[in-house]
Formats: sequence, C-alpha cells, structure tokens
Amino acid sequence: MKILLCTDGSSYTARALDLGVRVARKAASAVDILVVAKRDREEKARQMAEKAAADLETAGIPVAIHRRSGQMTEEVVLQAQAASYDLVIIGGRERRGVMRLLLGSPALRVTEHVPASVLVVKGQARDLKQFLVCSSGGPTSERTVRFAGRLARALGASVILLHVMSQLPLTKSAVLDDLEASAEELIRRGSPEGVHLGRMLDLLATEGRTGHAVIRRGLVRDEILAESREGQYDLIVIGAHITPGLNARLVEDLSAAILLTANRPVLVVR
Amino acid sequence: MRRRQGKRLNWRKPGLALSGFLLFTLALGLMKGGAGGLTPLLRNHLEVTNAADSMGFGWLMAYLVLSGSPVAAAAVALLSASVLSYLQAFTMIAGSRLGACLVVLLIGCIYILRGHEHWTALTAGILSLLLTGSIQLAALPMGLLILGRGWLDGLSIPALEGLAAGINWGLEPLIGPLAAFLPGWALFVAGVGLVTLSFRLFDRALPQMRLERTDLGQIPRLVYRPEVMFLMGLAITLLTMSVSISVGILVPLSARGYMRRENIIPYILGANISTLADTLIAAALLGDPRAVTVVVTHIVCAAIISLLLILLAYRPYERAISNALAWIARRRNNFALFLGVIFVIPVVLILL
Repeated sequence: MKILLCTDGSSYTARALDLGVRVARKAASAVDILVVAKRDREEKARQMAEKAAADLETAGIPVAIHRRSGQMTEEVVLQAQAASYDLVIIGGRERRGVMRLLLGSPALRVTEHVPASVLVVKGQARDLKQFLVCSSGGPTSERTVRFAGRLARALGASVILLHVMSQLPLTKSAVLDDLEASAEELIRRGSPEGVHLGRMLDLLATEGRTGHAVIRRGLVRDEILAESREGQYDLIVIGAHITPGLNARLVEDLSAAILLTANRPVLVVR
Repeated sequence: MRRRQGKRLNWRKPGLALSGFLLFTLALGLMKGGAGGLTPLLRNHLEVTNAADSMGFGWLMAYLVLSGSPVAAAAVALLSASVLSYLQAFTMIAGSRLGACLVVLLIGCIYILRGHEHWTALTAGILSLLLTGSIQLAALPMGLLILGRGWLDGLSIPALEGLAAGINWGLEPLIGPLAAFLPGWALFVAGVGLVTLSFRLFDRALPQMRLERTDLGQIPRLVYRPEVMFLMGLAITLLTMSVSISVGILVPLSARGYMRRENIIPYILGANISTLADTLIAAALLGDPRAVTVVVTHIVCAAIISLLLILLAYRPYERAISNALAWIARRRNNFALFLGVIFVIPVVLILL
C-alpha cells in the first residue's frame, strides 16, 4: 500500500502525521511525505517531515519527501493526482459555521478531488484498533469493505460492519419482520439486507479479517455517528458517495456529512 | 371488437374525471345551499362559535370521514354561507389536515389488531401526524395574523369563478327543488357525501403512475436531498391531488413497500402544501373571494414554514421528528398516550 502523508508544520497536521506514521509502519510498502509550508513554518515542517521519514526508514519503509509551495489543499490534490497512492492521510484545522459555508471544507475538497482513499485525522488520534465500517448496500460497499479489511489486517484492528435501516413501511406488502430483526436474524432469514451483510462479512474474511454485523434503525447519518460514539470506535470507514459536477447539487452525499460531523478519524474509501 | 375495447378504455378516465368534477361542483352547491341550515346545530348544539371550536370540529370531522379534503371543502362552503367566520374557516381547514392523517395510522392499527405484533406498522401514520401537526402548529399563528391584518384579502380566480357561475346556473334547476324539499342540514350532509364520492372518482381517473427503480437509475439517490424531495412532494401531490396517492407513487422505489425516513419527511412537507389545491378549486368555484383568501393563506403559511425548515433548520427538525417517532413507537404506553392526545385535543378544542 503506497501512502501519502502531509504536513504544513501546524499542530493540526502534526497529529495527522503522527497517526500516519503509526499506520504506515504497519501497512505501507512505500511512503511519500508532502511538505507545504509557509515561510514562518518552513523549518518546523521540515523537522516534522524528517523525523517522520527517519521513523519509517527505521521500520524498513522507503520514504520520499516532496516540497511544494501554495495552499495545502490544492497541493495535496496536485501531488495525489501526479503520483498513484492507495491512501492519503491528512489532518488540519476544519472551518466551522459561516466560514465553512463561504470557503468550504479543506478535507472535503481533498476527498472530492483526490483519486485515492483519504484518511482524515480528527479528534483524538488514537491507535486504530477498532473500525466501524459503514455498509449501505450500494455499489461502493464492496470496495469499502475490502479496503477496510486489508487495512484492519495490517493494523491488527477489529471490524464492526454497520448497516442502518431507516425505512418505514408504507404499504401492506411491506415485510415488517425485516424492519425489526437483528443483523443475525436478517442473515439467517436471507432477507436482502441479510444477504448483503453476509456477503460483506465473507469479503472481510477473504481479506483475512473476521468481523460481525450490527443493524441500527433511524436516520442514517445520526445512527452512524451514534454508533461511533457509543462503540468508542477509533475509525469510521465509509465509501465515497461524492458525485462531481451538477449532480452533486441533487444527490445526497453521506460521506461528506459524516466527514464534517464526526469527532474521530474518518476514512473515505474510493 | 378489440378496437372498441381500446376506445372504451381511452374514454373511461376522462369520463371519470368529468363526472368527478360535475359531482364536485354539485356537492359544493348542495353544501353551500344547505350550510345555512347547519347554523343552529353548529352554534347551539355543538357550540362551534370560535376558532378553537372549528379547529376541533374540522379535526373530528376528518376522523369521521377518514379524509381531509371533503372537510376542507365543507369549511369553505360554510364560510361562503357565512356560517363560519374567516378565522374559523382557516382553523377548520387546519383541523381537517390533522384529522386526515388518522387514515394512515388506522391502517397500521388494523394490521396490529389482526394479530401482527409489529409496531413498525404504525410508524408511517405517526410520522404523518407529527409532521402535519408541527407545520400546522407553526402556521396557525401566522395565518391568524395574515387574516387578521387582511394582507391577502380580495383574492379571486376569475377564470374559475366564471366557470362556476355557468355551472351553478346549469345546476340551479337541480339544486333549487332539492333545497325546497330537503332541510338544510340534509342538503349539507348530501353535499359532503357527494364531495367524498367525487374525490374517489378523481382518484380512479388518475393514471397509474409508478416510479420503477430499474427505469430511473439516479432517482433512488436523487431523492436523498431534502430540497429535491420537498419539490417532488409538492409537484406530484399537485398532479394527483392526494397525499396518499402521491406517497404511493414513490413506494416502488424501494420495491419492498418501504420508504426511507430521510426521503419521506421532506416529501410529506411538500405534499402538505399542494394537497390544498382541491380546496382552492372548491373555494374558487364557490365564487367567494373570502374562501379563496382563506385557502391561499393556508397554502402560503404552510409553504413559508416548510421552506424555512427545509432551508435553515432541516437537520435538527428531521432529528426531532425522528426522535419523537422513536419514542412513541418504543412502548405501548407511549403509543397509548400519543393516541390519547390526538383524540383528546380536538375534543378539548371544541369544549373551549
């Protein structure tokens, strides 16, 4: 797995770099470190990048340091587009309220434009020991579960597969049993959700990780965040639902919503 | 032979729609003619003398006929006959919208009474009541203010009024003798019955629209945006004139009789606005600008409140509704309390 780590010398990116090094030591075959620093932080950023590179080289991982000048977000996107990475790990201060409305979210911009999976480091960046993998049943689920399984195996993390059912019955023909069943019951019964969860668990197993499935009921975004809080997960993994262009205005983007509201690291799998 | 069958099929739906329209117009004429006879019953016996009373009355009437539209049409007919005031007609229409939600809840209750231990069967009905209740609660003071200040007074729909005058002239030979023969209240009740029947004919006249999952690749994802879903609810209900039919059109998207709550909440908010289109037509056909003003005020208030929620506070609103729904459906006692509240409130309103 080829990983891109980034720093601008700030304390926000320092946390991301620190977690990135811990992840890369176990999961990476090669690492690039991108330094995008303004003049006043140039020295700090250089020291951080060199320390990270030394840590990784000690673990036998080949490292290259790239230097760029400009806006962090744009430079990360350009670097990720110029080379081929499996995972980009970023941190940084998130804008809030009106500023986010006016200027957008840097993390979101990176996940929208980078052609790789992106790990956004937020909140307490503990060792990634417990993954919450969100599975919608849509076309991105298979890729998400495979990637999460691969990373979990490398890090020795456990995996919980979450599927949220927010459906309400509107006709007499609605299968109410399925709306009230646990994940195990759905799998045993062979309902569409059960078949999907069973298949995702099999996929996890082929990636060398066993996990178990959890069903929650309610609003999808709220239930994902509630499960991540209650289960004290170290990482939320979600497929990239981001749609470019005009469609982005029409189609709901769940991964963006989770990315902006979660208080822990989020991995958006592409 | 086959050709003839095809021709009959082609004419059936327009025929049903025309019959529905004529019946609707006749029913309005009967209600308007008979409304005067209801005055003693409403004022002396039921004591419907203020805005709270008429809201409770509209609410309970909608429970009784299991539909809001006939009651809303009755409200504008009563206003047109000066049995109800401006404000009373407005609150009666609000009550009719709340009462109309009971039918969805009843379907779930019947399912449970038939021995199926599934509380999820009730969730669509509860959700529908919560959404309508929250919008009406906010729209009520705004509507009373608009009507009180007369900001929308004097509205009319000249094209429909001209049509109404012609139709009324045509129906006069039928309504005149009936009015002479039947007491006013009987004329009004016959009108309510006919208006309910006319809505059934409209329902049958509508084309069978279904949004099939396989045919509309992006639609299932498209409808996750609350703004898009809100506009869809507004537009489809305007075309179908019925919330239940317009919601039914969406059901095949899930293929299993389900709809995600993220989708259905903004959809019902939109549908609650355009569902009053038939009442607006009724008001215009009655040829009374006051009736048109009351219905337009209702539509404007519901639209403003819904738009503010969708654009400014959608996520907290969605969460609050979803939490209330989860609390009500969690235990039998909670649901019993909810059921008690929705039956007690209209009675209390009448007693006020």
